[in-house]
Amino acid sequence: MFSTIFKQELKYWFNKPAFYIYLAIFLGLSFFLSAASAGFFDTITATTGSSRIVNSPTGVRNVFNALTVFIFFLFPSIIGLSIYRDYKSEMHTILYSYPFTKANYLFAKFFSGIVIVSLIVLSIALGMIIGFRFPGTNPDLITTFNGATYLLTYLIFILPNVLLFGAIVFAVVAFTRNIAAGFITVIVLLFVQGVVASVLGEPEQRTLLALLDPFGDGAVIYYTKYWTPSEQNELQIPIKEMVIYNRLLWLGISTLIFGLVYRFFAFSQNALSISFKKSKGERVIKTNFSGITKIVLPEVTYNHSFSQNLKTMWKLSNIDFKYIVKSWPFISIVLVGLVLMIVGLSEIGNIFGTPTLPVTWKMLNIGGVFSISINICTFLYAGMLVNRAKIARANHLVDATPIPNWTLLFSKVIALVKMQWILLAVIMVSGILFQMYNGYYNFELGHYFTELFLLSFLGYFVWALLSIFIQTLIGNPYLGLFVLLVISIGMPFLSTAGIELDIYKYNQGPGFGYSDMNGYGILTPFLMYKLYWILCGLSLLIIAALFWVRGIPSSFGERISIAKNRFKGGFAISFIIFFVAFVSLGFSIYQETGTKANKTSAKEFELRRVEWEKKYKKFENYAQPRIVAVNANVNIFPKKRFYDASAKFTMINKTDQAIDSLFLNHNSLKSTFTFNKPNKLVSEDTIHNFDIYFFENKIMPGDTLELEVTVESDKNTTYRRKSPIRENGTFINNFSMFPSLGYSSNGELTDDKTRKKYELPPNDLKPHPSDSTALGNTYISKDSDWIDFEATVSTSKDQIAIAPGYLQKEWTENDRRYFHYKMDNKILNFYAFNSARYEVKKEMYKGISLEIYYHKPHTFNLDRMMKGMKRSLEYNGKNFSPYQFRQARIIEFPRTGGTFAQAFANTMPFSEGIGFIADVDDKSDDGVDYPFSVTAHEVAHQWWAHQVIGADVLGATLLSESMAEYVSLKVLEHEYGKTKMRTFLKDALDGYLLQRTLERKREKPLMYNDGQGYIHYQKGSMVLYALSDYIGEENLNNAIQKFTKKVRFQNPPYTTSIEFVNHLKEATPDSLQYVIKDMFETITLYKNRVTDAKVTALDNGKFEVEIDFEVAKYRNDEKGKRYYGEKVGDTLSYKTDKMNKPILSSLLNDYIDIGIFTEKEVDGKKEEVELYLKKHKITSINNSIKIIVDEKPMEVGVDPYNKLIDTQSEDNRRKVDVTNK
Amino acid sequence: MKLVIQNLTKTYKNGVKAIDNLSIEIGTGMFGLLGPNGAGKSSLMRTIATLQSPDSGSITFGDINVLEDNMSLRKVLGYLPQSFGVYPKMSAEDLLDYFATLKGISNKTERKAIVKEVLEITNLYDVRRKHVAGYSGGMKQRFGIAQLLLNNPKLIIVDEPTAGLDPAERHRFLNVLREVGTNCTVIFSTHIVEDVKELCNEMAILNGGRILKHTTPQEATGVLKGTIWQKTIEREDLEENEKLYNILSSNYNQDNTLNLRVHASEKPSEDFVEVEPQLDDVYFIALKQDEPELV
Repeated sequence: MFSTIFKQELKYWFNKPAFYIYLAIFLGLSFFLSAASAGFFDTITATTGSSRIVNSPTGVRNVFNALTVFIFFLFPSIIGLSIYRDYKSEMHTILYSYPFTKANYLFAKFFSGIVIVSLIVLSIALGMIIGFRFPGTNPDLITTFNGATYLLTYLIFILPNVLLFGAIVFAVVAFTRNIAAGFITVIVLLFVQGVVASVLGEPEQRTLLALLDPFGDGAVIYYTKYWTPSEQNELQIPIKEMVIYNRLLWLGISTLIFGLVYRFFAFSQNALSISFKKSKGERVIKTNFSGITKIVLPEVTYNHSFSQNLKTMWKLSNIDFKYIVKSWPFISIVLVGLVLMIVGLSEIGNIFGTPTLPVTWKMLNIGGVFSISINICTFLYAGMLVNRAKIARANHLVDATPIPNWTLLFSKVIALVKMQWILLAVIMVSGILFQMYNGYYNFELGHYFTELFLLSFLGYFVWALLSIFIQTLIGNPYLGLFVLLVISIGMPFLSTAGIELDIYKYNQGPGFGYSDMNGYGILTPFLMYKLYWILCGLSLLIIAALFWVRGIPSSFGERISIAKNRFKGGFAISFIIFFVAFVSLGFSIYQETGTKANKTSAKEFELRRVEWEKKYKKFENYAQPRIVAVNANVNIFPKKRFYDASAKFTMINKTDQAIDSLFLNHNSLKSTFTFNKPNKLVSEDTIHNFDIYFFENKIMPGDTLELEVTVESDKNTTYRRKSPIRENGTFINNFSMFPSLGYSSNGELTDDKTRKKYELPPNDLKPHPSDSTALGNTYISKDSDWIDFEATVSTSKDQIAIAPGYLQKEWTENDRRYFHYKMDNKILNFYAFNSARYEVKKEMYKGISLEIYYHKPHTFNLDRMMKGMKRSLEYNGKNFSPYQFRQARIIEFPRTGGTFAQAFANTMPFSEGIGFIADVDDKSDDGVDYPFSVTAHEVAHQWWAHQVIGADVLGATLLSESMAEYVSLKVLEHEYGKTKMRTFLKDALDGYLLQRTLERKREKPLMYNDGQGYIHYQKGSMVLYALSDYIGEENLNNAIQKFTKKVRFQNPPYTTSIEFVNHLKEATPDSLQYVIKDMFETITLYKNRVTDAKVTALDNGKFEVEIDFEVAKYRNDEKGKRYYGEKVGDTLSYKTDKMNKPILSSLLNDYIDIGIFTEKEVDGKKEEVELYLKKHKITSINNSIKIIVDEKPMEVGVDPYNKLIDTQSEDNRRKVDVTNK
Repeated sequence: MKLVIQNLTKTYKNGVKAIDNLSIEIGTGMFGLLGPNGAGKSSLMRTIATLQSPDSGSITFGDINVLEDNMSLRKVLGYLPQSFGVYPKMSAEDLLDYFATLKGISNKTERKAIVKEVLEITNLYDVRRKHVAGYSGGMKQRFGIAQLLLNNPKLIIVDEPTAGLDPAERHRFLNVLREVGTNCTVIFSTHIVEDVKELCNEMAILNGGRILKHTTPQEATGVLKGTIWQKTIEREDLEENEKLYNILSSNYNQDNTLNLRVHASEKPSEDFVEVEPQLDDVYFIALKQDEPELV
C-alpha cells in the first residue's frame, strides 16, 4: 500500500506545472546568486573583487542555507498539501474507510512530500554548481568543485531541517486540516528562530544557542564565528560536538513530532477542533412544516449608480477587513511581530551596553522589524482576499450579482490598506507603551503619524498594489505569496546584474531619515519616487481589474481575450492616464538620474578609477608648492539649501627645485580658480576634474603663490538630494568644497585581482613606514603641513555658524549672521563648517573655554560630555604635552549625517545619535558611559592627530585612533574603576575578532595596519591597554611623552609607527619585549584555557588551589592563515593519549595572569573580589600550579580579564568547589 | 420576457462539447430542464447566468443581450448553483445582508426588511444568527434560495435545487418557486422527473449538449397516449424480454417481480396492458432515440 500511495503522490506532482515552476525558480535563483558572486556580471557591472573563495565550504553552505529558507514557505503547499488534498477533495470520506494502515498512509504522504521538496533542494545545488563555474565567472574567486561539500551541507544541515520543518507542517495540517495553519506555523517558526538567535546573541550564551538553534546555524557559528578569511576559504565546516548534538537533538524532535502524528492521527471524518467555549449538546429538531402559498417581498429600491458602487466598495472593504483581523494567520503574525518588536525595543540601539533614550525616531526605527510582518500580511492577504470567494466556493453566488468588477477589486485594495493601517497603529501603540514603561513622556504624536501613516505607508501601499496584481494573475494565494517574497527580497539584488537605476526596480528609490535636529530634511525625491511607483501600481491594478476572474474562464487564453474585451471605457481611459503618467515621470526621473551625463554606473566608475591611475599616477611625485595659509569665506543658506564659498590659499614652494606646473585636483562643483601669477591652463579634465596649470615663470624655491577659489554648492533637484546644506545642522568639511594639489592615490582600485584584470600592478595601498622617502606627507593631506587658518562664515539670522578658530567678531548684515574665526596656532589643512540653531553651554576650565553647541531638547548628557572634556584634557596634558588651544568645542549635528564624532582643531562635530540621547545608568555594571568616553576620545585627538600626526604610510592610525582610544579607556578607568573596563574590553575583543572575519583584502599587524577600524580602534585599544598592564601605565606614558615631545608639530619627514614602537621598546624590559612583537609587529592570538582546578581547605583555614591550564599561541598571516614558528624547531607541541591531534604553539616565554576570585556582598550586590592576581612566567603548553589563598575561592582563571586576544575567551575561567582534606 | 438562445456552442479544454449548437426560446413561467448527469445542464445554466462565456452563439433576455451586457442581466438574475460554499464564520443574516449589498440594495432598513422576509420564506429565521457554514445540506440549499430572492429577480436559474431537501422542504421550495415564478422566467434543472411534472408549464430534455425535446409536460405525455405498455415478469426473464422489446424501464415490485414498460405503437404481445404515459416515459424515449445507432 505504501508504494501505491507514494507513487500516486509523486505522479501528482510530476504532472503539475507548479512543481516545474518551483524547480525553475530555485534553479534560477541559485544560479543567479552563485554566478553573480563568482563575478559573472563583471562585464556589465563593477568587478567582484574579493579575497573570498565563493564556493568554499562556508560559501556553499551560506547560499544553500539561505535559499532553503525560501523552500520552507513551500512546505504547506507541498508537504502539507499531500494530506490536505484528501480533505479538500473530500477523498478522505472514501479513502479513510479503505483497508490500509495508518503507517502506510502517513509515511507515504510525508515522504512523498519530502522527496518532492528534496528534488527542489537539489535544483538549488545544481544551480550553484553550474552558477559558480559558469563560463564568464572569475576563476580567481572559485576553487575546484568539491562534491563532498554539497553532500555534507545537504546531509548534515539541509535534510534534517527539511525533516524538522516538514514534520511540523505535516503535523499541523494533518490535525487542523487547514493549509493556512501550516503556513502560519512556518512563519512563526522562522520568527521564533530569529528571536532565539537574538535573545541568545550574547557570546556567553553561544553554547545554548548552538544547541537550540533549529537550523543548526548556531552550532556552526559556535566553531566558525571568528574564522579568518583564509579559514573560511579553505576549511570544511567542522562536524564536531556542538553540531552533532544539535543535529541529533532536532532530528529527535522531528521523530517525536512525527511519532505524535502517528499516535494521534485517526482516520476520522472530522478535523480536530479546539474550542475554548464548552457548548452544551442540543437536540436539533424540525419544527416548521407549514407550506407557503403567498410571497410578498417588501418593496425595496435597487441602486446600481456609480456613487452607490463607491459606497458599496467601502462597505465590502469593511467586511473583508473584518475577515482579515479575525483570522488566525493575521493574529499569529501580528503577535509574533509584536514579540520581535519588544525584543528589539529592549535590545537594539545599545552602544557599549548602554541604551539610548526611547525617543520617537528610535521607536519608529525598531518598528522596521515589524515591517516584515506587514509585508507578509500584505502579500498573503492580497491573495486571500482576491481568492476569498473562490476559496469559500461562494464565487458563483458572488459573481452572478450585478456588482461591477472594479467595486469588488478596489474593495480588496481598501481592505488591505485598512489592514496596513492597523498594523502601523500597532507600531505606534507599542512605541508609546514602551516609552511610558521607560518613563519617557515626550510623545511626539505628529511624528508618529507622519512617519507611519504617510511616509512608511506609501511604501507598503506600493506593495499592496503589486500584491493584488500578482495574486489576481496567479490565482493561488500561496504561490502568489512565494512569488511576491522572491520579488521583494530579490529586487535590490538586481544591482549585482548591472541594473542600477532605481526606476527599474519596483518600489525602490531614495528613503527618508529623521533627526531630532533636522526633521526629515528634504522629502521631495522620496515622494516623487513613491508617486512614480504608485502610478505604476495603479496601472497594474487596472490590469488586475482586466484580468479579474468573474465566473469560470477555462484557460489563460480565455482570460486574455476577456481582458481585451474589458479594455474600454473607464478602464482604458484610467489605464492610459496612469500608464502615461508613470512612463513620463519615469522618463523625467531618468533624464535626471539615468542619462550618461548624470549617472556613473558602477562599471564606469571602476573604469574611471583605472583611467585616473593610468593617466595621472605619473604625477604623484611631481613637486608641488605647499599650502601654508587658508582664508575662507563661506556663506551658508539653510533655507535655500545652498552655500557659496571662496578661499584664498597661500602656497610656498618648499622644495629646492623650481616648479613649473601645478596640478589642481578639484570637485565637480561650479568653481573658479585664479592664481596671482601668470599661468596657462594646459590640461583640463572635466571627468576627473584634474587640471594642469603651467607657469612660464617658474615658482622658485621659497616663492609664494596665491590661489583664489570660488565655489557654489550643488542644488537639490526634484529627484535628487545634492546639496550638503541642511535646514538645521549643516556639517561640511574642506575636502568636499575646496581643491587639493597633486595626484591622490585614494581613487585607486585596491583589489589586486581586479587590478590585474586592468593590467595595473598590485597595490600595496601605502608605503611601508621604513621607507624614508615616503614620509613627506601626513596621512591627512598631501599638499600641506601646518597652516594658518582664518574663516568668515555667514548663515541665517537664527543660526550659529562655526569653523575652527577663535571668534574674532560677530555681526548681522542683510538679515544674516556673520562669524569671523581665526586660529592663532598652526593646524592641519583639515577643517569643517557647521551651522544650526544651537543652544550653547559654556564653562571655563583652567583657562580653557569648554563649549557645547547642542540642539535645545538634547540636554540629557551635557554634564557627562563636559566631564569627558575635562578628564581628557587633564590626562593628555599631564601625561603627554600641553593643550595647544584655549578652547574646546563640541558641536552637535543630525544623525542623518552619520553616527560618529570627528575631531577638527579645537572643534569636534558630534552626532546627535552617539551620546546626546544616551540613557546612561551609573549603577549598571554592564553599560559604559559612552557620552563621556567618546568625548574623551575626540578630545584626545587634539593631541593624537592635531599635535602628533604620522606620515602617510602603513600604520599611521596607530598614532591617532589607537592612541585616542587608549586615552579614552584610561580616562574611563580612572573615572569609573576597573570593572567598567571589562565591559569595554569584552566588546573590543568581540568586535575585533568578528570584524576581521569580514576582511576583504588583508589584515596587517597593528603597527602596519591599512587603517581598518577594527585594527586601530578595537585591537589598538586592547593592545595599548595590555601593554600598560605589562609595563605599567606611568612607564608607558612616559615613553609616549618622550615620543610626543620629539615629534609634535613636526615638519616633514613625519614620524611613523616604527618610531613610536621604538620608544615603547625602550621602556620595556627584555623579558617583555616579546609582548611588543606579538601585539604590534605580528598578529598573535592565544588559546588559553583552564583544564582543571582543585581547591583544598587547609587546616590553618587557608585554601590551596591547584590549577591545570593550557597556554598556546599562534600567529596569523595577512590572509588569516595560521602559523606557529618562524623557523624549523621553534614550535611547541603537546599531546596526551586521549588527544587525536597535538596542541601546537609558538615558543612561549610569556607572562600570563593567573587569577583566583571569590564573591562578596558589597552594598547588597554580589561583587567579584580578587584573591590572587599575578603574572606567571609560562614556557610550556601544559601547566599546573599551586597557590594558597586566605579565603574560600569561587573561580579561577588564566588571563581571566581577557587582556590577551583569544578566540575562546570564556574557557579562561572555571568555577571551583572546595574539597576537604 | 423571453429568453432566446441561438446556436450556442461551448467546448471545454479537454475536448468535451458541453453545449452543441443549441437554440431554444423560453417564455415566462416555469421551465424544466431534464437531462442525465453530464448532459450539459449546468454548463448551459452557467452560461445563461453569465458565469461562462460560450465559444459562439447568442443569448438574449427581453432586450438584454446577455453576452454583451452581462451586468444588465445580473440585475434581474436569481441564480442558485448546483453546489456552492459560503464564507466561514458568518451568520445567515450577515451573509444575506452582504449579498443584498452586492445586489444593489443601498438602504439599510430596506436591506433589513428584505433579509428578514427571505429568511422567513425559506424557514431559516430561527437560525439566522448561526454560521451558514455549519448548516446541514438542506438548510444551506434553502439559504441559497434566500439569497436568490433578494433582488426580486426576473430570470431565475436554479440548478438541481431539490436534491438533498426533505419532503416538506421540497414542497415548500417548489411552492416558493412557483409563487415567485408567476411573472418571470424560471429555469429549473433536475433529473427528478417528478419535479417537472408537478411544477413546469414547459420543459426540455437535454443530452450531450443538445435539446432533444422541447415541449410541455401535458403535451409530451398526451402524444404518447396509447403507446406505453406494461407487463410484470420474473427476474430471470428480463434478458429474454430485453432482446424482444424496446424496454423503457424496469422496476422491482415487492415480491421481486419486475414491471416492464415498453414503448410501441401497437400492443407488443398479449401479456402487455396499456398504461397511462408518464413523464418518465417521455424522458427515456427521448434519451433512447438519442443513442448512437449500433451497426
